[in-house]
Amino acid sequence: MKVQLVNLGKKYEGRENFTIRHIDLEIDDQDFCVILGPSGCGKSTLLRMIAGLNSITEGDLLFDGKRMNKVEPKDRDIAMVFQSYALYPHMTVYDNLAFSLKMRKERKTVIHDRVTEAAELLQISEYLYSKPSEISGGQRQRVALGRAMVRKAGVFLLDEPLSNLDAKLREHMRVELVRLHKSLETTTIYVTHDQTEAMTMATKIVLLDDGKVQQVGKPAEFYDRPANLFVAGFIGSPTMNRFGGVVEGGHFKADGDLFVAEPEKEDRDKLSAYEGQRVVLGIRSERFIAGESDKNSFTVKVDVIEMLGKEQLLYCKFADGKECVISEPGYFTYAVEEDHSFHLDTAGLHFFLEESGERIN
Amino acid sequence: MSRNQDKKLYLSDRPPLTAVKVTMLAVSYCLLFFYVFIVLWPLAQILFTSFNGNHGSYIQIGTSFTFSLKHFNYLFQETYFLNWVVNTILIALATALLTLLFVSLTGYAYSRYRFKGRKASLMAIMLIQTIPTFAGIAAFYTLHSIVAAIAPWFSRQMFLILIYAGGGIAGNTFILKGYIDSISTELDDAARIDGWGNLQVYRLIIMPIVRPMLSVIALWSFIGPFLDYLLPSILLNDPKAYTLATGLHTLVNDVRNMHQPVFAAGGLLTAVPIILLFIALQKQLVSGLASGAVKG
Repeated sequence: MKVQLVNLGKKYEGRENFTIRHIDLEIDDQDFCVILGPSGCGKSTLLRMIAGLNSITEGDLLFDGKRMNKVEPKDRDIAMVFQSYALYPHMTVYDNLAFSLKMRKERKTVIHDRVTEAAELLQISEYLYSKPSEISGGQRQRVALGRAMVRKAGVFLLDEPLSNLDAKLREHMRVELVRLHKSLETTTIYVTHDQTEAMTMATKIVLLDDGKVQQVGKPAEFYDRPANLFVAGFIGSPTMNRFGGVVEGGHFKADGDLFVAEPEKEDRDKLSAYEGQRVVLGIRSERFIAGESDKNSFTVKVDVIEMLGKEQLLYCKFADGKECVISEPGYFTYAVEEDHSFHLDTAGLHFFLEESGERIN
Repeated sequence: MSRNQDKKLYLSDRPPLTAVKVTMLAVSYCLLFFYVFIVLWPLAQILFTSFNGNHGSYIQIGTSFTFSLKHFNYLFQETYFLNWVVNTILIALATALLTLLFVSLTGYAYSRYRFKGRKASLMAIMLIQTIPTFAGIAAFYTLHSIVAAIAPWFSRQMFLILIYAGGGIAGNTFILKGYIDSISTELDDAARIDGWGNLQVYRLIIMPIVRPMLSVIALWSFIGPFLDYLLPSILLNDPKAYTLATGLHTLVNDVRNMHQPVFAAGGLLTAVPIILLFIALQKQLVSGLASGAVKG
């Protein structure tokens, strides 16, 4: 099912400002769309509006072109998985799964078939007659997924479903969820604050902050072409390095004369429009090349080293105290307090306007 | 490992007892035994007195014991005891049912809905609780006269039920609201997506989870009319309409009609319905059902 949000806005009773506003979004059929954002950005509100648990203050919500603003949650053809799983504690796993179908007065045999089918797919057949309190967190999570699955809904809504699992299980469930999404052939809308989940699972990411959409696109676009400084800082670990500076003769001159960056031709053309203005240069830690070069080069002192095996993160300091993070292969030898020279990989430079934070190149 | 070696190991999680602590422990036990004695001694007296045929109108300490059911015979044949039992149980049941019904609705509403005057009305309920019910006796009396003038079928017992239930609803709304607050609202959301309306969400999801608390409320509402003497003694004027507390009191409040051992026998029987209810609700009173509803 195709989900469209047209100029959607929500204002809670008794609040002065809109929690989210002017949300325009198109989620195609069978998309795995992840709504990403820091806590309090309104992402859960957006999901609850799609589910019909929160009312829509302004704008339109369309499912396959049909307006859904005033439709009851049960009639929207959706299924939802909650962060706390929200399993009915006094019912067995089987009854939890069958509950919504019973409500719709499905035939007993149909209910039984659907429940056993979902239980087999999620590997919870053994626990069908246990109470939720008797099974582990990971199993409860599967039951919650199963409860949504049996509805065979057109849109699958998930509200931070993995946040209560331990790291190992979370990694495993990420793959399972993607597999499930493919086999169900539904549209999935997934809310999370975890960028790893977003990058690994999504076919489309929507990054929200401050009640506004910051960027919409494929995971790779978020990493390679962040639309503004917020996106640049939110996506990627370690966080992208930022240097303030001015454009001089098409080149970027970092504050405190740390270095001068000479961008590639395309970037230079775009930068020249901002001659003399303040801009921010963003560069990811892996886009520093070890060794001196005649251009774009600088020397820093290594402050702290984090050895991760495959790579090592060097927390370096410039002469004036400005810090940056550089990642280099693990087999290079570095030591704390040493001075080293690096130069910038010009293909990996991101330029943003300092004032608005918008991307230039 | 042999059993002897086991004995040498100190397995308790607490530090070993010192001489001072042993003394303190002994003192604690003495106090506890004394307390148990204070509680059980009168109960034992009631039990022995009610079956002792040697007692006359008064209970005399030191009377020898002869087993007899004559006090019970007197209770059932010479007094309205059965009427009183029926009255009390009816009043208690009606009070408990009325309280449960209303508290379920108010507790759920206060916990789940945001409406104008929610905080103020909760505060008002709490403040009104501090005024004893008996302070309003004059008002109750007049109120009943007015209502009874319009609707003659409105008996004094019905009025008593309303007073008990009214008091219970106010106080228990607080307790139930607090209990429902601790249940994740995501459960409500899930049920709503499954297609249930508000009342169904309460009946099918919330009520089973709060059942332990509802049992406690039911039990206390039921016990209330058994314990209260003041209100029925003033409101009820026909001996046949008395509750157990007021009825039994007639056996000891007048020299001409003094039957202290019969009073003891009645007291003993009064405990039976409450004990039965307690046994019936015992399973429900064990809480902890809500564990496992949300995350692990």
